[in-house]
Amino acid sequence: MVSLARYIRNIRKTGVKQWWHQMQYIGDAKAGTLVGTDQFGNRYFENLNPEDEVPGRHRWVDFAQHYNNATQVPAEWHSWLQHIRQPPPTEDEAMKNLSPSWRAPWVENLTGTRGAYRSYNTVVPKINAWEPRVAARE
Amino acid sequence: MSFGALRTPVFNAGRAATLRPVVPIHTSRSIHTSKFVRAPETILTSTTSAKEPITSLAIRGSNQHSLETPQNKAEYVLSTLDKLVNWARQGSIWPMTFGLACCAVEMMHMAAARYDQDRLGVVFRASPRQSDVMIVAGTLTNKMAPALRKVYDQMPEPRWVVSMGSCANGGGYYHYSYAVVRGCDRIVPVDIYVPGCPPTAEALLYGMLQLQRKMRKNRKSVLWYRK
Repeated sequence: MVSLARYIRNIRKTGVKQWWHQMQYIGDAKAGTLVGTDQFGNRYFENLNPEDEVPGRHRWVDFAQHYNNATQVPAEWHSWLQHIRQPPPTEDEAMKNLSPSWRAPWVENLTGTRGAYRSYNTVVPKINAWEPRVAARE
Repeated sequence: MSFGALRTPVFNAGRAATLRPVVPIHTSRSIHTSKFVRAPETILTSTTSAKEPITSLAIRGSNQHSLETPQNKAEYVLSTLDKLVNWARQGSIWPMTFGLACCAVEMMHMAAARYDQDRLGVVFRASPRQSDVMIVAGTLTNKMAPALRKVYDQMPEPRWVVSMGSCANGGGYYHYSYAVVRGCDRIVPVDIYVPGCPPTAEALLYGMLQLQRKMRKNRKSVLWYRK
Protein backbone atom coordinates (compact mmCIF):
# COMPACT_ATOMS: atom_id res chain seq x y z
CA MET A 1 0.00 0.00 0.00
CA VAL A 2 1.07 3.54 -0.59
CA SER A 3 2.00 5.14 2.69
CA LEU A 4 4.62 7.46 4.14
CA ALA A 5 6.16 4.54 6.04
CA ARG A 6 6.59 2.60 2.78
CA TYR A 7 8.08 5.64 1.08
CA ILE A 8 10.70 6.13 3.79
CA ARG A 9 11.36 2.39 3.96
CA ASN A 10 12.02 2.30 0.22
CA ILE A 11 14.39 5.28 0.41
CA ARG A 12 16.34 3.47 3.11
CA LYS A 13 16.44 0.31 0.99
CA THR A 14 17.56 1.90 -2.27
CA GLY A 15 19.64 4.82 -1.04
CA VAL A 16 19.27 8.54 -1.56
CA LYS A 17 20.90 8.61 -5.00
CA GLN A 18 18.59 5.97 -6.40
CA TRP A 19 15.63 7.68 -4.71
CA TRP A 20 16.47 10.97 -6.45
CA HIS A 21 16.82 9.18 -9.78
CA GLN A 22 13.46 7.46 -9.30
CA MET A 23 11.72 10.69 -8.34
CA GLN A 24 12.96 12.25 -11.59
CA TYR A 25 11.77 9.41 -13.81
CA ILE A 26 9.27 7.13 -12.07
CA GLY A 27 7.80 9.63 -9.63
CA ASP A 28 7.72 7.23 -6.70
CA ALA A 29 10.19 5.59 -4.34
CA LYS A 30 10.18 1.94 -5.31
CA ALA A 31 12.34 -0.89 -4.05
CA GLY A 32 12.49 -4.35 -5.58
CA THR A 33 14.73 -7.09 -6.88
CA LEU A 34 16.59 -6.46 -10.11
CA VAL A 35 15.25 -9.16 -12.41
CA GLY A 36 17.34 -8.37 -15.44
CA THR A 37 18.82 -5.87 -17.84
CA ASP A 38 18.15 -5.80 -21.56
CA GLN A 39 20.56 -5.00 -24.38
CA PHE A 40 19.81 -1.26 -24.14
CA GLY A 41 20.64 -1.05 -20.44
CA ASN A 42 17.02 -0.73 -19.28
CA ARG A 43 16.66 -2.33 -15.86
CA TYR A 44 13.65 -4.42 -14.87
CA PHE A 45 12.45 -4.77 -11.31
CA GLU A 46 9.90 -6.82 -9.45
CA ASN A 47 8.48 -6.69 -5.96
CA LEU A 48 5.80 -9.24 -5.17
CA ASN A 49 5.30 -8.16 -1.56
CA PRO A 50 1.77 -6.70 -1.31
CA GLU A 51 2.91 -4.64 1.69
CA ASP A 52 5.26 -2.74 -0.63
CA GLU A 53 3.52 -2.60 -3.97
CA VAL A 54 -0.11 -2.64 -5.01
CA PRO A 55 -0.72 -5.64 -7.30
CA GLY A 56 -0.43 -4.27 -10.84
CA ARG A 57 2.47 -2.02 -9.94
CA HIS A 58 4.72 -4.90 -8.97
CA ARG A 59 6.78 -5.00 -12.18
CA TRP A 60 8.45 -1.91 -13.53
CA VAL A 61 11.22 -0.70 -15.81
CA ASP A 62 13.91 1.89 -15.18
CA PHE A 63 14.82 3.29 -18.60
CA ALA A 64 18.40 3.89 -19.64
CA GLN A 65 17.63 6.95 -21.74
CA HIS A 66 16.62 10.35 -20.45
CA TYR A 67 13.88 10.83 -23.02
CA ASN A 68 12.23 7.48 -22.60
CA ASN A 69 9.12 5.94 -24.05
CA ALA A 70 7.46 2.56 -23.97
CA THR A 71 8.83 1.42 -27.33
CA GLN A 72 12.34 1.29 -25.88
CA VAL A 73 11.34 -1.96 -24.18
CA PRO A 74 12.19 -4.88 -26.51
CA ALA A 75 9.56 -7.50 -27.26
CA GLU A 76 10.81 -10.19 -24.86
CA TRP A 77 10.84 -7.85 -21.90
CA HIS A 78 7.53 -6.34 -22.94
CA SER A 79 5.97 -9.77 -22.62
CA TRP A 80 7.35 -10.04 -19.10
CA LEU A 81 6.40 -6.51 -18.12
CA GLN A 82 2.81 -6.91 -19.30
CA HIS A 83 2.43 -10.39 -17.72
CA ILE A 84 2.17 -12.20 -21.04
CA ARG A 85 4.97 -14.49 -19.81
CA GLN A 86 5.44 -15.36 -16.16
CA PRO A 87 9.24 -15.89 -15.96
CA PRO A 88 11.61 -13.16 -17.24
CA PRO A 89 13.23 -13.79 -20.66
CA THR A 90 16.57 -14.54 -18.99
CA GLU A 91 15.02 -17.59 -17.28
CA ASP A 92 12.20 -18.42 -19.67
CA GLU A 93 13.11 -21.63 -21.53
CA ALA A 94 10.63 -21.03 -24.34
CA MET A 95 11.94 -17.48 -24.84
CA LYS A 96 15.59 -18.62 -24.77
CA ASN A 97 15.04 -21.29 -27.40
CA LEU A 98 13.07 -18.91 -29.58
CA SER A 99 15.51 -16.89 -31.64
CA PRO A 100 14.49 -17.11 -35.29
CA SER A 101 17.20 -16.24 -37.80
CA TRP A 102 14.95 -13.73 -39.55
CA ARG A 103 14.43 -11.61 -36.47
CA ALA A 104 15.68 -8.06 -36.89
CA PRO A 105 17.25 -6.11 -34.01
CA TRP A 106 14.79 -4.17 -31.91
CA VAL A 107 14.46 -0.51 -32.86
CA GLU A 108 12.42 1.98 -30.90
CA ASN A 109 9.82 4.27 -32.44
CA LEU A 110 11.55 6.62 -34.88
CA THR A 111 8.61 8.84 -35.72
CA GLY A 112 9.55 12.45 -36.28
CA THR A 113 13.11 11.57 -37.32
CA ARG A 114 14.67 10.63 -40.62
CA GLY A 115 14.31 7.00 -39.68
CA ALA A 116 10.53 7.21 -39.63
CA TYR A 117 8.72 4.49 -41.51
CA ARG A 118 7.29 5.51 -44.84
CA SER A 119 5.07 3.11 -46.65
CA TYR A 120 5.36 2.31 -50.34
CA ASN A 121 3.76 5.22 -52.11
CA THR A 122 3.26 6.15 -55.74
CA VAL A 123 0.84 9.01 -55.15
CA VAL A 124 1.79 12.49 -56.33
CA PRO A 125 3.41 14.28 -53.36
CA LYS A 126 1.14 16.58 -51.36
CA ILE A 127 3.92 18.96 -50.32
CA ASN A 128 6.26 20.50 -52.89
CA ALA A 129 9.19 22.84 -52.51
CA TRP A 130 8.40 26.27 -53.87
CA GLU A 131 10.01 26.80 -57.21
CA PRO A 132 8.90 30.23 -58.43
CA ARG A 133 8.00 30.58 -62.06
CA VAL A 134 7.92 34.06 -63.52
CA ALA A 135 5.31 34.59 -66.19
CA ALA A 136 6.57 36.13 -69.39
CA ARG A 137 5.82 39.85 -69.75
CA GLU A 138 3.72 40.84 -72.70
CA MET B 1 17.12 -28.45 -82.08
CA SER B 2 19.39 -29.69 -79.36
CA PHE B 3 21.45 -26.51 -79.66
CA GLY B 4 18.32 -24.44 -79.36
CA ALA B 5 17.28 -26.27 -76.22
CA LEU B 6 20.72 -25.61 -74.75
CA ARG B 7 20.78 -22.00 -75.76
CA THR B 8 17.40 -21.03 -74.39
CA PRO B 9 18.34 -20.88 -70.71
CA VAL B 10 21.58 -19.08 -71.53
CA PHE B 11 19.69 -16.53 -73.57
CA ASN B 12 17.18 -16.07 -70.79
CA ALA B 13 19.93 -15.55 -68.25
CA GLY B 14 21.49 -12.90 -70.45
CA ARG B 15 18.17 -11.11 -70.81
CA ALA B 16 17.62 -11.20 -67.06
CA ALA B 17 21.06 -9.64 -66.56
CA THR B 18 20.32 -6.84 -69.00
CA LEU B 19 16.92 -6.19 -67.47
CA ARG B 20 18.35 -6.01 -63.98
CA PRO B 21 18.65 -2.35 -63.01
CA VAL B 22 22.16 -1.13 -62.27
CA VAL B 23 21.02 1.69 -60.01
CA PRO B 24 18.95 0.51 -57.01
CA ILE B 25 15.36 1.65 -57.32
CA HIS B 26 13.95 3.63 -54.41
CA THR B 27 10.97 1.68 -53.25
CA SER B 28 9.31 4.57 -51.47
CA ARG B 29 8.86 8.15 -52.45
CA SER B 30 9.14 10.90 -49.88
CA ILE B 31 6.26 13.35 -49.56
CA HIS B 32 8.84 16.14 -49.64
CA THR B 33 10.39 16.79 -53.00
CA SER B 34 13.06 19.28 -51.95
CA LYS B 35 16.59 18.12 -52.72
CA PHE B 36 19.17 16.96 -50.19
CA VAL B 37 21.79 19.61 -49.52
CA ARG B 38 24.48 16.94 -49.12
CA ALA B 39 24.53 13.28 -50.02
CA PRO B 40 23.10 11.34 -47.05
CA GLU B 41 25.82 9.47 -45.17
CA THR B 42 25.33 5.86 -44.22
CA ILE B 43 23.94 5.54 -40.71
CA LEU B 44 23.43 2.54 -38.48
CA THR B 45 19.96 1.02 -38.47
CA SER B 46 20.11 -0.11 -34.86
CA THR B 47 22.18 0.52 -31.78
CA THR B 48 22.11 -0.47 -28.14
CA SER B 49 23.92 2.57 -26.81
CA ALA B 50 22.06 4.66 -24.24
CA LYS B 51 24.42 7.61 -24.67
CA GLU B 52 23.79 7.85 -28.39
CA PRO B 53 20.45 6.17 -29.06
CA ILE B 54 19.04 5.43 -32.50
CA THR B 55 16.85 8.53 -32.34
CA SER B 56 19.91 10.79 -32.11
CA LEU B 57 21.63 8.87 -34.91
CA ALA B 58 18.57 9.28 -37.07
CA ILE B 59 18.61 13.10 -36.92
CA ARG B 60 22.36 13.33 -37.57
CA GLY B 61 23.17 15.77 -40.34
CA SER B 62 19.65 17.15 -40.48
CA ASN B 63 18.52 20.75 -40.15
CA GLN B 64 16.94 19.86 -36.82
CA HIS B 65 20.27 18.61 -35.49
CA SER B 66 21.91 21.85 -36.64
CA LEU B 67 19.24 23.89 -34.83
CA GLU B 68 19.71 21.89 -31.65
CA THR B 69 23.46 22.52 -31.53
CA PRO B 70 24.13 26.20 -30.77
CA GLN B 71 27.08 27.69 -32.62
CA ASN B 72 27.65 30.85 -30.59
CA LYS B 73 26.66 32.50 -27.32
CA ALA B 74 23.56 34.22 -28.66
CA GLU B 75 22.29 30.95 -30.06
CA TYR B 76 23.05 29.24 -26.78
CA VAL B 77 20.88 31.74 -24.91
CA LEU B 78 18.11 31.58 -27.49
CA SER B 79 18.02 27.79 -27.62
CA THR B 80 17.89 27.69 -23.83
CA LEU B 81 14.93 30.06 -23.94
CA ASP B 82 13.37 27.80 -26.53
CA LYS B 83 13.83 24.82 -24.27
CA LEU B 84 12.17 26.74 -21.44
CA VAL B 85 9.21 27.53 -23.67
CA ASN B 86 9.05 23.91 -24.80
CA TRP B 87 9.11 22.72 -21.21
CA ALA B 88 6.19 25.00 -20.37
CA ARG B 89 4.22 23.94 -23.42
CA GLN B 90 4.69 20.22 -23.06
CA GLY B 91 3.77 20.36 -19.39
CA SER B 92 0.35 21.88 -20.02
CA ILE B 93 -1.21 20.50 -23.15
CA TRP B 94 -4.83 21.54 -23.06
CA PRO B 95 -6.77 19.63 -25.68
CA MET B 96 -9.89 20.89 -27.35
CA THR B 97 -12.18 17.89 -27.37
CA PHE B 98 -13.60 17.31 -30.80
CA GLY B 99 -15.35 14.05 -29.99
CA LEU B 100 -17.32 12.86 -32.98
CA ALA B 101 -17.84 9.12 -32.51
CA CYS B 102 -16.75 6.06 -30.54
CA CYS B 103 -13.15 7.34 -30.37
CA ALA B 104 -14.46 10.01 -28.02
CA VAL B 105 -15.23 7.30 -25.48
CA GLU B 106 -11.59 6.21 -25.54
CA MET B 107 -10.60 9.85 -25.23
CA MET B 108 -12.71 10.00 -22.06
CA HIS B 109 -10.92 6.91 -20.80
CA MET B 110 -7.64 8.74 -21.18
CA ALA B 111 -9.00 11.35 -18.81
CA ALA B 112 -10.28 8.79 -16.32
CA ALA B 113 -8.47 7.32 -13.35
CA ARG B 114 -6.55 4.48 -15.00
CA TYR B 115 -4.58 6.42 -17.63
CA ASP B 116 -4.98 9.75 -15.84
CA GLN B 117 -3.96 12.39 -18.36
CA ASP B 118 -3.87 15.05 -15.61
CA ARG B 119 -0.48 13.82 -14.40
CA LEU B 120 0.96 15.01 -17.73
CA GLY B 121 -0.83 18.32 -17.47
CA VAL B 122 -3.31 17.33 -20.16
CA VAL B 123 -6.60 18.94 -19.14
CA PHE B 124 -9.67 19.03 -21.36
CA ARG B 125 -10.79 22.53 -22.15
CA ALA B 126 -14.16 22.98 -23.77
CA SER B 127 -13.32 26.32 -25.35
CA PRO B 128 -11.15 26.45 -28.49
CA ARG B 129 -9.84 29.90 -27.54
CA GLN B 130 -7.96 28.58 -24.50
CA SER B 131 -6.74 25.26 -25.86
CA ASP B 132 -3.47 24.16 -27.49
CA VAL B 133 -4.34 20.87 -29.11
CA MET B 134 -7.38 19.66 -30.97
CA ILE B 135 -8.02 15.93 -30.73
CA VAL B 136 -10.18 14.98 -33.69
CA ALA B 137 -11.80 11.81 -32.36
CA GLY B 138 -14.09 10.08 -34.79
CA THR B 139 -15.61 10.23 -38.25
CA LEU B 140 -15.47 13.66 -39.81
CA THR B 141 -18.48 14.09 -42.06
CA ASN B 142 -18.87 16.62 -44.82
CA LYS B 143 -21.47 18.41 -42.75
CA MET B 144 -19.15 18.68 -39.74
CA ALA B 145 -16.07 19.74 -41.72
CA PRO B 146 -16.81 23.52 -41.85
CA ALA B 147 -17.49 23.47 -38.11
CA LEU B 148 -14.18 21.69 -37.48
CA ARG B 149 -12.30 24.25 -39.54
CA LYS B 150 -14.06 27.10 -37.77
CA VAL B 151 -13.14 25.72 -34.36
CA TYR B 152 -9.54 25.19 -35.50
CA ASP B 153 -9.36 28.78 -36.72
CA GLN B 154 -10.54 29.99 -33.33
CA MET B 155 -7.62 28.31 -31.55
CA PRO B 156 -4.67 30.58 -30.73
CA GLU B 157 -1.16 29.89 -32.02
CA PRO B 158 0.75 27.70 -31.37
CA ARG B 159 -1.75 24.94 -32.01
CA TRP B 160 -1.50 21.27 -32.75
CA VAL B 161 -3.90 18.68 -34.07
CA VAL B 162 -4.05 15.03 -33.07
CA SER B 163 -5.98 12.87 -35.51
CA MET B 164 -7.41 9.98 -33.54
CA GLY B 165 -8.58 6.74 -35.11
CA SER B 166 -8.94 5.36 -38.62
CA CYS B 167 -11.87 7.60 -39.54
CA ALA B 168 -10.04 10.82 -38.72
CA ASN B 169 -6.79 9.53 -40.25
CA GLY B 170 -8.16 8.59 -43.63
CA GLY B 171 -11.88 7.95 -43.60
CA GLY B 172 -11.45 4.46 -42.17
CA TYR B 173 -14.53 2.30 -42.39
CA TYR B 174 -16.50 5.10 -44.05
CA HIS B 175 -13.83 5.87 -46.64
CA TYR B 176 -16.18 5.20 -49.58
CA SER B 177 -19.16 7.00 -48.14
CA TYR B 178 -20.35 10.07 -50.01
CA ALA B 179 -20.91 11.90 -46.74
CA VAL B 180 -17.53 11.50 -45.08
CA VAL B 181 -14.28 13.47 -45.37
CA ARG B 182 -11.46 11.05 -46.24
CA GLY B 183 -9.17 12.08 -43.43
CA CYS B 184 -9.28 15.24 -41.34
CA ASP B 185 -5.90 16.27 -42.82
CA ARG B 186 -7.91 17.49 -45.79
CA ILE B 187 -9.39 20.15 -43.52
CA VAL B 188 -6.70 20.92 -40.92
CA PRO B 189 -2.93 20.25 -40.72
CA VAL B 190 -2.36 17.21 -38.52
CA ASP B 191 0.66 16.70 -36.25
CA ILE B 192 0.07 13.26 -34.77
CA TYR B 193 -1.86 10.39 -36.30
CA VAL B 194 -3.02 7.80 -33.78
CA PRO B 195 -3.94 4.54 -35.56
CA GLY B 196 -6.65 2.20 -34.35
CA CYS B 197 -10.37 1.62 -34.58
CA PRO B 198 -10.78 2.98 -32.00
CA PRO B 199 -7.28 3.42 -30.57
CA THR B 200 -7.00 2.43 -26.94
CA ALA B 201 -6.71 5.14 -24.33
CA GLU B 202 -3.13 3.94 -23.89
CA ALA B 203 -2.44 4.52 -27.59
CA LEU B 204 -3.89 8.01 -27.43
CA LEU B 205 -1.79 8.77 -24.37
CA TYR B 206 1.25 7.52 -26.26
CA GLY B 207 0.23 9.88 -29.05
CA MET B 208 0.21 12.74 -26.57
CA LEU B 209 3.70 11.73 -25.46
CA GLN B 210 4.79 11.80 -29.09
CA LEU B 211 3.29 15.27 -29.35
CA GLN B 212 5.43 16.26 -26.36
CA ARG B 213 8.41 14.91 -28.28
CA LYS B 214 7.43 17.07 -31.23
CA MET B 215 7.04 20.14 -29.01
CA ARG B 216 10.50 19.49 -27.57
CA LYS B 217 12.04 19.93 -31.00
CA ASN B 218 10.88 23.52 -31.36
CA ARG B 219 13.77 25.99 -31.85
CA LYS B 220 11.84 28.89 -33.24
CA SER B 221 13.96 31.72 -31.84
CA VAL B 222 17.20 30.10 -33.06
CA LEU B 223 15.59 29.83 -36.47
CA TRP B 224 14.64 33.50 -36.30
CA TYR B 225 18.20 34.45 -35.26
CA ARG B 226 19.83 32.52 -38.06
CA LYS B 227 17.61 34.10 -40.66
